[in-house]
Amino acid sequence: MNDLYAAVIHDVKNQLAELALRLGERADAQQEMLIAMNAARRLSEMLLVIRQKSELLNVNPDSVDTADFLMILAAEYRELFPALVIDIETEHTPAFAFFDDALVRLALSNALHNACRSARTRVRLAAREQDKMLVLEVADDGPGFPDSMLENKANTPASASNRGTGLGLYLARKIAELHKLEGRCGRIELSNDGGAVFRMFLP
Amino acid sequence: MSNISKFADKWVLVIDDMEGMRSQLRMSLTNSGFAKLHIVANIREALERMANNRYDVILCDYSLGDSTDGQQFLEHLRTNDLISRNTIFVMITAEQAYEKVVAASECAPDDYLLKPFTASQFNARLEKLLERQAYFASIDKAADAKDWTRVIAECDRALPTKNKYFLELCKTKAAALMHSNRPQEAANLYREMLALRPIGWARLGLARALALLGQKDEAQQIAREILTDSPQFMAAYDFLGGQLASSGEKNAALDVLQKAREVSPGTMNRIRELSTLAVSAGQPELAESVMRQALQKHKYSPVRQVNDYAILSKALTSQGKADEALSVVADARKDFRDEHSQIVLATSESVAHRAAGNDELAEAALARAMAGDINALPAETVTAIADACFALGKEDEANKLLRHAIQNNPEDETIKSKVHDVLTAAGKEITEADAMIEDSTQEIIRINNEGVRKAESGQFDEAAELLSEAADRLPNNLQIVGNAALVIALHLVKSGNNPKLLAQCLRYRDLLVKKSPDYPKITQIDSQLRLLQSQKTGQ
Repeated sequence: MNDLYAAVIHDVKNQLAELALRLGERADAQQEMLIAMNAARRLSEMLLVIRQKSELLNVNPDSVDTADFLMILAAEYRELFPALVIDIETEHTPAFAFFDDALVRLALSNALHNACRSARTRVRLAAREQDKMLVLEVADDGPGFPDSMLENKANTPASASNRGTGLGLYLARKIAELHKLEGRCGRIELSNDGGAVFRMFLP
Repeated sequence: MSNISKFADKWVLVIDDMEGMRSQLRMSLTNSGFAKLHIVANIREALERMANNRYDVILCDYSLGDSTDGQQFLEHLRTNDLISRNTIFVMITAEQAYEKVVAASECAPDDYLLKPFTASQFNARLEKLLERQAYFASIDKAADAKDWTRVIAECDRALPTKNKYFLELCKTKAAALMHSNRPQEAANLYREMLALRPIGWARLGLARALALLGQKDEAQQIAREILTDSPQFMAAYDFLGGQLASSGEKNAALDVLQKAREVSPGTMNRIRELSTLAVSAGQPELAESVMRQALQKHKYSPVRQVNDYAILSKALTSQGKADEALSVVADARKDFRDEHSQIVLATSESVAHRAAGNDELAEAALARAMAGDINALPAETVTAIADACFALGKEDEANKLLRHAIQNNPEDETIKSKVHDVLTAAGKEITEADAMIEDSTQEIIRINNEGVRKAESGQFDEAAELLSEAADRLPNNLQIVGNAALVIALHLVKSGNNPKLLAQCLRYRDLLVKKSPDYPKITQIDSQLRLLQSQKTGQ
């Protein structure tokens, strides 16, 4: 990503934040304020990743409480999509897991954002351990991923679709793969099961 | 609405230089139910507020105009113990600075907020942080009091639950073990954590523990490996640089710290380390440029110390720029007016005058530097005065000061290496410097052993006299102060109450408690004092 693009995104982000600020001063536009704010925030997070050459992207795993992590994420999107029910399933979540909080938050909030936009009524966030991997899952009850996305195994940004530009998914894949332990590395799996299911596996 | 009760009694301090951001934060914090809010525009105001108020939460913007940034401010707070461990410090940052902020993990804030953020995002995070604050309240309180024994005990009590704070409890316990000078146990604990996951801070923790255990090569090796994996891990540079410097490899240490500066210009602690090292490695030009740049950036900022000007002055004097050194000293006098600063600056002034050939002025400045109570000065200042003494040919005074610095800080390797620097700069051979340091160390050990031996053979009077004399001279030597208190207590139990001696004993005991509340000898002293008390009531 070249510096010019980053500068453009940065500028748009600031304008969105300014818009959000002005909307926030009006009593009748709180929902619009949140949408603008969230868009600005997502650009901010993406810039974090994009600003650096991807091979230099630093992953700093540390102990994270997965349940708290999902709760904070859900709180953000409940505010943004008040009509949706966002469930969190954490009965099988380990008390703590190891990953880069900021980067995984970015990957998951992209997935969650897309899920919220496609869902009819519900979105489910879950975390569990499976084959010595931490699985973070975002599922919705919408129409599911289009076939083209399920088939896209290449590490390239997918073409634009009704689920966003594909850039988010591309970044999520990168972030998962950068989590490595004892020869194993993270991955993303997409499937359809009563809606779209996004799974991030972290070693 | 549920937040209102939760947040209403929490004191919050917000530091942001942008007017718009301040009013936005005020609005959103008030909406979230915070009632006790102070909002300031700069660090100076923040420090004034903090002097009069204990805050539960501090929200600080990373970028605070051209001057000192949020990270440098946080480091200043932590190195000078200006905030409780239990205070939540949240750094607000824009994405451009994020990497820089996160990399400085040595002195990490409790959380980061990436701009822009909404109230509910902020509330959800803060709720979790407050939960953590409540959970760690008693541990943090013990850590603030430097009561490491209690920190360790509290962690041990909580660890078996293996809850979400497990790693943080391990980390806290390991740090407390290091503070209690139990590096072997700390190393074991770091290894246990590393078996779970090779986390950067745990690797560096292990390196620190190994260094304390004398396994210096392994410690350096680990630090190098960390830097290969994460070149952004600033604390690893600082550790490696310090290790190399203390083993005399000054140029290698300088290289490491220079590399660190390329990654991040760094906080004042690193600038100090680097420029001090550069002066003693014979690179005063480097020291001058680094320190000048830093002081320019932190103009008017409270993160500056008087010693920064002393370092700069020394760098200038070493290059034959005595006039510039004197003008640096004059500049510093405007901002640093306390007694200790006057002594530090008089010392620098003396050295600069001497270099310029104005011996009379140099003598006068040195006399001012030496007028005060030596025990009220940090050892670093004492060694600087000794340096000035050498410059004026006052060998005896210089040696006396250096012996005092060593004997009053028997555990401090940094002081020993500073003493070494002063001696070699004064033209002593390395072997001569080593011998002097060793002799000073041995002398005080002899006095201690002699005192203990006399007490054991029942000569309490003489033992108390010997150790008290040493304790009054070296109030920072805990072994001497502890033994003085213990011997007097034993003496009192044996030969009955004596108000004057008891007062002296209590004075030493309080000194110990103040400097190291979990010093093992305190229990022994206290049990003798209880015995004395029961004798009194028995009479």
